[in-house]
Amino acid sequence: MKRFLMALALSASSWLAVADSGILVEDAWVREAPPSARMLAAYMIIRNSSDRDRVLVDVESPQFSHVMLHKSEVVDGVARMLHQDEILVPAQGSVVLEPGSYHLMMPAPETHLSAGDTVDFTLTFANGDNVQVQAEVRKKP
Amino acid sequence: MLLGIVLLGACSRPQAPELSQGTLLPSAKPLLEFELIDHQGRPFTPGNLQGRWSFAFFGYTHCPDVCPTSLSMLAQMQRKLEKDAALNTLPQLLFFSVDPQRDTPQLLAEFVPYFHSSVIGVTGDQQQILKLTRQLGILYAKAEGSGSEDYLVDHSAAIILFDPDGKLHALFGVPHDPTLIANDFMAIKHYYEELQ
Repeated sequence: MKRFLMALALSASSWLAVADSGILVEDAWVREAPPSARMLAAYMIIRNSSDRDRVLVDVESPQFSHVMLHKSEVVDGVARMLHQDEILVPAQGSVVLEPGSYHLMMPAPETHLSAGDTVDFTLTFANGDNVQVQAEVRKKP
Repeated sequence: MLLGIVLLGACSRPQAPELSQGTLLPSAKPLLEFELIDHQGRPFTPGNLQGRWSFAFFGYTHCPDVCPTSLSMLAQMQRKLEKDAALNTLPQLLFFSVDPQRDTPQLLAEFVPYFHSSVIGVTGDQQQILKLTRQLGILYAKAEGSGSEDYLVDHSAAIILFDPDGKLHALFGVPHDPTLIANDFMAIKHYYEELQ
């Protein structure tokens, strides 16, 4: 019981920290891929209602060995994927992770993810805030 | 009289279509030989481009963002064309690998049909891929700073259209919209048939 209360207190405090940080994540999804795909991508909208810029520096997930911050861009007709050390979420603003732009890249897990499955991510910001996000696997379009 | 000449002119020489996403080549470009392999292990040569229209995209299966987005877009376009009663033969959809080191025919066979059953994956010897891409102005290179296994590949994002003579006929730069490309394709095909 004591352990349960402790867990409750911890989860309540982390929830408050999330609320305090002013970060809100919407529309998080992972692109369903063919079973042979070695890499997957995740997308979401990260909103920052606070008066301070927030910087996303790390993402982890129990379902993937690692998660990388990436950005696709097309320059002079050539598509490139660039590793990002961080992604800025401006004060009173937002950043959109979407196909062809910012995204999370993960090596595909051994168990195939199908549309309707969910993936848990923990977003870590430079100020130490952690935000839990649940993303839905979707077949697009 | 003047109107008559203008009309005569309009009848005898079809107008090139106005395209929203595509760019027509001033004159279609024939291809030199290359010898690749499709995802079922069969040879793929310029002969495979003869007799029907073909859309081609160049990418790699370890690409999680741009390539699935483009393949999904082509599949969406194909589903629109499937509903077009004016079209007797659907175009081929081709996915050429620019990463033959990892993209074996087997891997492509497990990858491309997911997007649409009509997509053909093509891979092969690096030199043979270069023989094709250099003719088309398609660029690709391993990204700088990539590791030995988990490397990324930079590659041209354009979609290429080959005509039924197997010639490079039109290009579609980014961003790609399936409805606009389907409409452009029908206009290009109509113009091509008028000129025959």
